[in-house]
Amino acid sequence: MADLVNVVTVGILLGGIYALVSVGLNLIFGVIRIVNFAQGEFVMLGMYGAYAGYAFLRLDPYVSLLVLLPLFFLFGAVVQRLLLAPLRNEPSMQIFATFGLLMLIENVVLALTRGTAYSVPSPVSQAGIGLFGIQVGVVRLIALAAATAAAVGLGLFLRNTMPGRAIRAVAQDRAAATLMGVDVERIYMITFGIGTALAGLAGCLLAPIYSLSPQIGTSFILPAFAVVVLGGLGSVLGAYVGGFVVGLTEALAGYYLDPALKYAVIFGVFVLVLIVRPSGLFGKVGAEEVGLRDQS
Amino acid sequence: MITRRLAGPAAALFAVLAMPALAQQPLRIGVVNPFTGPLALYGDEMTRGYEIAAEQANAKGGVLGRQIVLVRGSATNPQEAIAAVEQLVGRDKVELLSGTYVTAISNAGSEAALNNSKLYWETNALAKDLTDRGLPNFLRSGPDSNSFARRSVEGVLQLVQPRLAKPAKDLKIWIEHEDSAFGTSIAKEQERLLKEAGITPTLSSHSARAVDLSDAILRAKNANPDLWLSTGYVIDHNLLLRTAREQSFRPPAMMLVGTGDTFETLEAVGKEFLNGILLVSYPRTDVGESYGPGATAFLKAYQAKYSRDPIAPQAMSAYVGFKIMLEAVAAARSTEYEKVVAAAAAMDKPLGSYETGYGVKFDKTMQNVRALPLVAQWQDGTVRAVFPAEAIPQGGKVFDLGRR
Amino acid sequence: MTSPDLAAAAAPRDAVPRRSAASRVKTFAGELPLALLVLGLVAGLIWALSGDSFALNILATTLLFAGLAGAWNIIGGFGGQFSLAHSVFFAVGAYTTANLYLKLGISPWLGIWAAAALSAAVAALVSWPVFRLRGPFFAIATMAFTEVALAIGNYAESLTGGTRGMSIPFRLGIQNMIFRDRLSYALLMFGFMALSLLVVVAVNRSRLGYYLQAVRDNEQAARAAGIGVLRVKLTGMAISAALTGIGGGLFFMQVRVADPAAMLSLFEFGVKFALIALIGGLGTIYGPLLGALVIIPLENWLRAEIGGTLPGANLIVLSLFLIGAALFMKHGIVGVGRAIAARVRRPRP
Repeated sequence: MADLVNVVTVGILLGGIYALVSVGLNLIFGVIRIVNFAQGEFVMLGMYGAYAGYAFLRLDPYVSLLVLLPLFFLFGAVVQRLLLAPLRNEPSMQIFATFGLLMLIENVVLALTRGTAYSVPSPVSQAGIGLFGIQVGVVRLIALAAATAAAVGLGLFLRNTMPGRAIRAVAQDRAAATLMGVDVERIYMITFGIGTALAGLAGCLLAPIYSLSPQIGTSFILPAFAVVVLGGLGSVLGAYVGGFVVGLTEALAGYYLDPALKYAVIFGVFVLVLIVRPSGLFGKVGAEEVGLRDQS
Repeated sequence: MITRRLAGPAAALFAVLAMPALAQQPLRIGVVNPFTGPLALYGDEMTRGYEIAAEQANAKGGVLGRQIVLVRGSATNPQEAIAAVEQLVGRDKVELLSGTYVTAISNAGSEAALNNSKLYWETNALAKDLTDRGLPNFLRSGPDSNSFARRSVEGVLQLVQPRLAKPAKDLKIWIEHEDSAFGTSIAKEQERLLKEAGITPTLSSHSARAVDLSDAILRAKNANPDLWLSTGYVIDHNLLLRTAREQSFRPPAMMLVGTGDTFETLEAVGKEFLNGILLVSYPRTDVGESYGPGATAFLKAYQAKYSRDPIAPQAMSAYVGFKIMLEAVAAARSTEYEKVVAAAAAMDKPLGSYETGYGVKFDKTMQNVRALPLVAQWQDGTVRAVFPAEAIPQGGKVFDLGRR
Repeated sequence: MTSPDLAAAAAPRDAVPRRSAASRVKTFAGELPLALLVLGLVAGLIWALSGDSFALNILATTLLFAGLAGAWNIIGGFGGQFSLAHSVFFAVGAYTTANLYLKLGISPWLGIWAAAALSAAVAALVSWPVFRLRGPFFAIATMAFTEVALAIGNYAESLTGGTRGMSIPFRLGIQNMIFRDRLSYALLMFGFMALSLLVVVAVNRSRLGYYLQAVRDNEQAARAAGIGVLRVKLTGMAISAALTGIGGGLFFMQVRVADPAAMLSLFEFGVKFALIALIGGLGTIYGPLLGALVIIPLENWLRAEIGGTLPGANLIVLSLFLIGAALFMKHGIVGVGRAIAARVRRPRP
């Protein structure tokens, strides 16, 4: 029993990490309908940003965040404007372009670092809390809290502000939103910027957990896609809950079954859910039917 | 012919070449390694060992009276290895090939070399299968996966078991390994050797690219082993150790095979947690001069050339391997693979002949049986050799395993 | 080399539905002269490069990927189903060929046909449930297959050699499909590319091809017009996967060593097939060949020239090229060609 509680705790904390990484991806995917392969690289860049803050300015990653988030928003907006907007009507080429971006970012970081595995120390990175024999890393707790805050914040933003409502309008019906006077291109830029900033946030918060490598982004991208599709397209709650579904599945399968098989289980469950309920757990039924072409 | 591929370090070689006395054709040697991708750092680090060896040889007049020029061929997977060999042989006109950080690259690269009738001198890649193929143009001057497994089990039986004071049948060992050829082949051999010694270990594998390894640590913690014995790459070892720290998993003894002995791990995990952890790895520059004569001089040469300490001990092993190759080429008076392999087979040098403590004696699969890894230990933030006894530098000792 | 001729002769018979000649528009026979001309040009290229094993090796890889991208294009381009699962079919073909050869001593020349059949069967089976998904959802679901297949491949040690990989011993001989010279491999891959091209032409000029394009352009309309959408998609996928499986078998016999992680690499294969087709011209007959002729030599040349300098340097340049290509050649090389042709034909007043 103690085992199970422990494994579930691990799974929930891991779910927090996945939720954090996936919130931004879900926003981009849900609103702009782009399969953004480079999202994992944005997370990786966030980690290296935290490292740069530490290496050059001795900043704690939780402080670097304040500088990095606006920078990532701008970066995302620029990427959307220069790279993705021109390919608006070419969804396949967009996939291709984000893949090129993935390669570019990964290898630029590799060239700059030679591939050395950096670590970002933070006073809390060593700390663990023991409760009833269950060990919990403080960094992971912070990531969980941040995922929750990001999901709630994003939900409130989308529900209660004008830009948020405009984003939702575009996600639901682009043509109607245009007719209502919404500047769709602007909304796309803002959305991609927010999505990128959320990836940067995830990277910053996860930097103290991992050894940084240029390839770490690609380790996140597949589970993140699973989270997004599982949870439901364009549903903030979906990405949040989806993160825990994937995190718990991984922890339980890894502990009780075999660590070597856990990805087979995750993606098996993922494909099953997709087949049974293509719109995801929290998505609008029919969202998956909006093919690449219909939205152009 | 001064091309970009030979940038930087090789410029010095060209300066030597430009001297009028040395008009003879240079000897071009191809280096097959991953110079990009996740293992770029280590491919490059190994090649630095070659560069130092080539530079030193050139300063003494080269080999066969010819100056050595290294040409890099980048490969991160088997198909790129074939392309790299075709590039090096067909376009860059190299006469010998050497490498490799990764087994799969060596495997495909050496076959492509055979198709082109060229020697493929392996200094580092580990999997035993490579020499078992019996390719006539292939040999390995460094240790193989079995010698890593053997050394780690010797360390278990002679360092760990006496300190834990437990009979073999009660000794609980958890073998953790990353699930590619590297980790699997070492772990399987460890299991076989431990069973021979009357110990039944538990095996568990993980993926080196996993986002989370809490499950691996929790399972191990649950088994409550006396020794946690792990083979992996840098990134997954760091994550395992950090998770172990977070989960307060502190078995009486921990031993890492292959990696975990660099500053990358020190920065990630911190010296407190690392204290006392045993390491099985290539011999480092701080082995005593009586074990590895010239190791200090190698360290100085590396520092002078690259303005830093070696990133990983692979460099010195590559350096020694390259030196042995040049000796074999000199003895063969030829670069033809049949003659070089025959000359290498005839070599007989006792342990302790080289900087890494290696000797030379090839078995019939052309594996150098006198190339052995060492057991070292993290001691207050530095790595010190602790086994075998003759490798312990002066004033060194085995720490308490420190993991109560 | 007997294979190209054999393959060329066999392909159209297998792939053309019986009444394809009934269609009024472009026919298989009408496209044939151009296809043969292209094949002749490529053969000339091999002849011109024979003797340079460095270039021949690159050409062999190029032609292999041209064939594979062509195969992907059947379902990805004509059918509009952006599959990222093709590395799975590729691996199924590779392991089928290798196992038949290693365990039963069946020559790879025969083994590749079994590989084709099995790959097609696997493709039909796994894509059946996900064909109800569209657009990005389909892409992501097929991407997930790669991960499941990787875990299974690592587990099924008896079939794949597990994580330690599988290697085929070097036993020279045409019956083993193992050669010393790179010319033989270039010719082998030429045969595969020719087979793939002819199948593509046959499919494209058949009823199936038009159905596939109808499904791509508007699934609802296609269904309303009485097309069995699922059947069309499955048939297209099966043909595409069969060719991919053959390519996998040939690849394994050329490299002779692979582990599941390498065979199922999403970026090395799954995405690359799509990438080459996109850069050449999605849904065009000659696009994949053109894309491969640009991408693969460029990739190899960059690796040879700057791969040993700064880590990642060659891939930085390649990715910049890819991004540039995406931005400025939205319809691929074929699209650029068409635009130029249109301008030449209709000069500005």
